[in-house]
Parts: sequence; C-alpha cells; structure tokens
Amino acid sequence: MISVSDYIVPIIFFTVLLLSVIKKKDAYNGFIDGSKNAISLMCNVFPYLVTVMIAIQLFKASGIANRLSFTLAPIFKFIGIPSELTELMIIRPVSGAGAMAVLENIFVTYGPDSFIGKCASVIYGSSETVFYISAVYFSGVDGKAKGYAIPVALVCTFIGYIIGCALL
Amino acid sequence: MSAIWTILMLSSLAVLIFTDPQTALSSMLKGSENAVDLSVKLVASYAFWMGLFSLLEKLKITDLLAKILKKPIRFLFPGEDEKTEKFITMNVSANLLGLGNAATPMGINAVKHMHGNSSFDNISTFLVLSATSLQILPTTVISMRVSAGSTSPMSIFIPSLIATVSSTLLGIIICKTIRAIKQKTQKSRILTHTYARKSNNTI
Repeated sequence: MISVSDYIVPIIFFTVLLLSVIKKKDAYNGFIDGSKNAISLMCNVFPYLVTVMIAIQLFKASGIANRLSFTLAPIFKFIGIPSELTELMIIRPVSGAGAMAVLENIFVTYGPDSFIGKCASVIYGSSETVFYISAVYFSGVDGKAKGYAIPVALVCTFIGYIIGCALL
Repeated sequence: MSAIWTILMLSSLAVLIFTDPQTALSSMLKGSENAVDLSVKLVASYAFWMGLFSLLEKLKITDLLAKILKKPIRFLFPGEDEKTEKFITMNVSANLLGLGNAATPMGINAVKHMHGNSSFDNISTFLVLSATSLQILPTTVISMRVSAGSTSPMSIFIPSLIATVSSTLLGIIICKTIRAIKQKTQKSRILTHTYARKSNNTI
C-alpha cells in the first residue's frame, strides 16, 4: 500500500536537487557538508544512548511494567482507561520497541477494531518515547540539566491519552 | 533524568535479584549491544538527513521556513538567535511530517545552541514540545493496524491527532506558566532586595 507520506521525502529531495541545478549550486558538496557531521554528533550522543538503553533493557527484563499494570489496574479503570492498557502506558515513554510489542499483543488478543485496540492505537500514536528523546536531546548540554520538562511532558501526554480515548 | 534513570535501575535490579538473577547481567549487556546497533543505524540516518538539511540550508529554504514559523517560535522560545531558530524550525517541521530520525539531529543542534546564549526555560519548553509528540499522521500505528487486519485502520487518526494536539498545547501552557511564575518571583526578590538595602541605608 502506497500512502501519501511515502511521497514526501522523494518529492522534497527531487525539488531540492532541481533547485540546486537551477541556482547552479554544487549539490554533491553541499550534501557532504552536512553528512560529515553525523559521526561526531553520534560520538556525543552515544554515551547517553548506551546508559539509557541499559536501563531500558533491564526494566523490560524485570517485568515491572507488567506487575505495575496489575497493581494500578483498579485506579486506571476508575478514570475510564481499560486495565489492559496500563502496561502499554507504562512502557510507552521508556521504550518504543517495547511498546510496539505490547501493542501487537493487544491487537492479537482483542483485535485492532475493538475499543481496547483503538485505545491502544491512540496511546501509541499520540505520544513519544519521552526518556529516549530527553536523553538524546540533552546530550548536547554539558553539566546537569535538571528540570520540569520530563514530568510536564509525561503528565500532558497522559491527559492527551484520556482525551483521545474519551473521543473513541 | 538522572533521578528517573536511578529509579529504573534500582527497581529493576531489586526485582531481578529476587526473581531472576541470571538475566540481570545478560539483559544489561543486551541493552548496551542494542545501543551500539541503534547508533550505527542512527549514524546512517543522521548522515542522510544532515546532508539533505545542508542542501536545504544552502538553497535558503530553511530561511524561508524559519520566516514562516517565526512568530510561534519567537513566542515559545524568546531571545534565541537566528541560527537556533532555524534548527528549531527544521526540527518542528520534520516532526510534523513524522520524520523522527530527521528531527533528532536538528533537535540536538538546537539545544546545543540554546545552551550557549539563553535560559534553561527554552530548553525545557523545547523538550516538552518534542516529547509530547508533534506527529500529525501516526504512520507506524496505521501500518500496524493494516497488518493486524483492521477494517478501518484510519479510524484512530482524528482522536489520536486531538490527543497529540491537546497534550502539546497543555505542555506549552504549563511551560509558559512556570516561566511567568519564575519571572514574578525573581522580580519580587529584586524588589525586596532593594527595599532591604534602602531600609539598611536609613538605619
């Protein structure tokens, strides 16, 4: 299936190349100017990536998400979120791949068109891997960057879930 | 971030020590291995996106985009220079298009430049903006729904969009409020300081 989003990048790239031919700019060397910075950027990001991903893998192996969802289920049910989704909500900000596995599981068990399946789709589709993003983005900042960003992002994402699921 | 990391590690290790001590080391090494695999993949995609970005920059398309998005960006991130604004613009546009891997290098560069000449509040706002997700079309979920045999894979599009927009708007409002409160307390602190000095002088 070809979707609209499949056209975006090829069309942008084509237009850019065409424009650089018209404007007589050297596209080849222009591209190299950008891509040569990729490895040094990764050198800065890598220590953060490793440290965070060790914790993520350990967290997944511990099965805490599963246990927590079991204990928190009554509270979430009270707000109107099906208890099956708590595990997904706990793992979503920590690990994108982990959340994908949980989502797949929900689709297999309940079907993608059930209320739970749709709810899970909204949860996955409307949020980001908060910890990964904050680790990677903050890697450019030296020193300790403590702040309100992560809690604020988590709370807002959670409220977004509730609004999205209420609209289904 | 460091608090969250410590909590994740401590709680996971505590559970694993009691339930399954053999997997603790192997899963930590697996995580490290995953990071190496991922970083190789990311370098590949960063190289591509940064190459394309530099072409866009050379053609002044980034300047054009930055001009279009100038008002909202000045509102959210006051006091940034043009270069930072350009990085923010590119990050936001890539995120809106759902190109997460293209957004990341621009985001890192934006934060790096913010650090040089501006307040911590701008970095926090930027992080909240990115972490509450800006993606308009949730392509991953839709393709997963298709492969799971959904009869209406697009049915979640509108609710998911509303969820994303409301979480992002709420995040912006909270960040702006925190900033306003900070400025207010700072002002009152200065006021009391000058007041104290004045009263000292009279004594």
